Amino acid sequence: MAFAGIDVGSLATKAVIFDGQRVVSYAVRRTGADSLNAAIACFKEALSLSGLDESRIERVVATGYGRLRVPFAQREVTEITCHGRGASFLFPMTRTVIDIGGQDSKIITLDGKGRVLDFVMNDKCAAGTGRFLEVMAQALELNLEEFAEQAFKARRPLPINSMCTVFAESEIISLLAEGARKEDIVWGLHLSIARRILGMARRLAIEDEITFTGGVAKNKGMIRALKAVLGRPLNVPEEPQITGALGAAILASL
Amino acid sequence: MDLRGLFPILRHGAFYRLVRPLVCLYVRKDRNPPFRLWVDFLCRLLGRAYGKEGRTIWVNAFFPVEIVYAMGACPFIPEIHASLVAYFNLSRRPIELGGVSLSTDICSFFRCAMGLLEDGILPKPDIVLSSSHLCDGAAKFFSEIAKLVGVRHAFLGVPIVRVRGVKERFARQLRDLTFEVAESLGLTFQEKMLSAVLEKARIAWRLIREINVLRRTRPAPFPGSEGLSYVAGMNFYAMGSDEGVRFFAALREYVHKRVQRKRGYLKHERWRVLWLHHIRPYYPNPIFSFLGRHGVSVPFEEANYLYWPEPDPTSPFLSIAEKLLSNPWYSPLADRIEIVKKMAADYGVHGAIHFSHWGCRQTSSGAMLVGEALREMGIRFLVLPGDGCDPDNFSAGQTLTRLCAFVESLGAE
Repeated sequence: MAFAGIDVGSLATKAVIFDGQRVVSYAVRRTGADSLNAAIACFKEALSLSGLDESRIERVVATGYGRLRVPFAQREVTEITCHGRGASFLFPMTRTVIDIGGQDSKIITLDGKGRVLDFVMNDKCAAGTGRFLEVMAQALELNLEEFAEQAFKARRPLPINSMCTVFAESEIISLLAEGARKEDIVWGLHLSIARRILGMARRLAIEDEITFTGGVAKNKGMIRALKAVLGRPLNVPEEPQITGALGAAILASL
Repeated sequence: MDLRGLFPILRHGAFYRLVRPLVCLYVRKDRNPPFRLWVDFLCRLLGRAYGKEGRTIWVNAFFPVEIVYAMGACPFIPEIHASLVAYFNLSRRPIELGGVSLSTDICSFFRCAMGLLEDGILPKPDIVLSSSHLCDGAAKFFSEIAKLVGVRHAFLGVPIVRVRGVKERFARQLRDLTFEVAESLGLTFQEKMLSAVLEKARIAWRLIREINVLRRTRPAPFPGSEGLSYVAGMNFYAMGSDEGVRFFAALREYVHKRVQRKRGYLKHERWRVLWLHHIRPYYPNPIFSFLGRHGVSVPFEEANYLYWPEPDPTSPFLSIAEKLLSNPWYSPLADRIEIVKKMAADYGVHGAIHFSHWGCRQTSSGAMLVGEALREMGIRFLVLPGDGCDPDNFSAGQTLTRLCAFVESLGAE
């Protein structure tokens, strides 16, 4: 018997097949305009990688913004609960989760069993999210991997004052026109986001251990910036993007 | 939708006299008796204000309307009418219009009311009275209103420091203001008229106290969503009026019957949450239906907490002074926290939702500390940022994700 978790996020859809003890397989693909098809395709891909037949999947739990549009899921759970479960499974001592996804960022505090005690989310704007970083990378004509690498080559961070995606983009263009180094701009951007996350985190009583999840946790520059700003170590899963889907699969198994 | 096509009709007092029985008959079908009395009250009030039956005095939501009733004038609370317009999903245009003459940094309820006045929908005041409690933007808004209409604006500064003798001095200030306003409007005012009004306020106060005790029952007999709309509206608008007494007597009767029959407003109540802050989003939104679907009742709301002592008709100005000085939202935060903790215990809630209307900085800024105190009691706490009047400042997806996670955390408990 196996269980599945589907996390339909704003940018990426993730599926995890879980056997009750470990992750059997997973798949990640862009959500695009059709979240239903993305969920189906992602689930099929994860199933195919697992070598299991669909009939072996006992239960499916959906999460993420598109969770209500997954017809084959028996239950929908918010990504807040799922990231908590997933992070706690991967790092059992986790008491705080920082999740930065495509369209929002969250700080979640957990009890010893991975249950949500409290959470805060960013406001309606995209500041400090994966989408924000994507737009900034585009403005700098870098792909996301190059963008993250630039953060390690900075000499001095250039502060980006505006956290509005549109205004920050024009601020970057102005800095480039003034001859600023891309590396310094990138590191400044990462630090600005990390400080914003810290501001959110301060609204809760954050406790160690802290686990960083979501697609943005794949960005090494962001990990470095968060560690610098928080002044604490961070757990980062090997595949942080699937933590929510993993949490959903764990909930499916309970 | 635009209201302008209806203007000529809406501005006639006779319109409200004509529609009142029809509207009351219509709402009889599916709503409770207190709701009908609220509709009846509004029709009468608008009929008086538009029909120029006496003086109309604009006041802010927390201004003591007892004084206005004692002068024989008609109170008009623009914030409440802004919320009514939002209820009918018509607030976008007036908010946009009001944002021209008022800073867009001022609360959307005020901008909506300003837009409605500029559009000619609201009845013109003979004088504008406002108090320093509670809203930060009120002084600016009411002075602009007075300037726009060309009437006087009298401002009541409510002391925030509780030193010895402050109540007496504030009562004298209230007395001076009342006599002076009455004289300037050519109205007759005697202290015994205020005593008579306070006698009615006392009856209403006792009824509210009973209602609030009845609402502690499980399952919750009366929905918090309605407590935050017309019940709070009558709390602001009708203290000291005959309509207020009738309304709260009917509400007491209604809640009492439901308690006797053990009828909760939800079919299955799984969890109970307290609604903090005195407003909610008034435009169509899925918040309360979502909570209801998940078995989460809102048995009580901070808006209807009876924070002031029983009105005393023998010392009317002192009594009103005491009411204003007791306001927990205009006091040190520690006072509000104690009251919130008491409400949480009295109503046996599992969680609390603090609706942080962005325009209410004075209340929203305390949310984190209120939350800390509740968490210490083992009560789950959610800050729900939003806007009570402007639907363009509301994101259903974001709100429902927060609410959903909050409900899940109640379940985890």
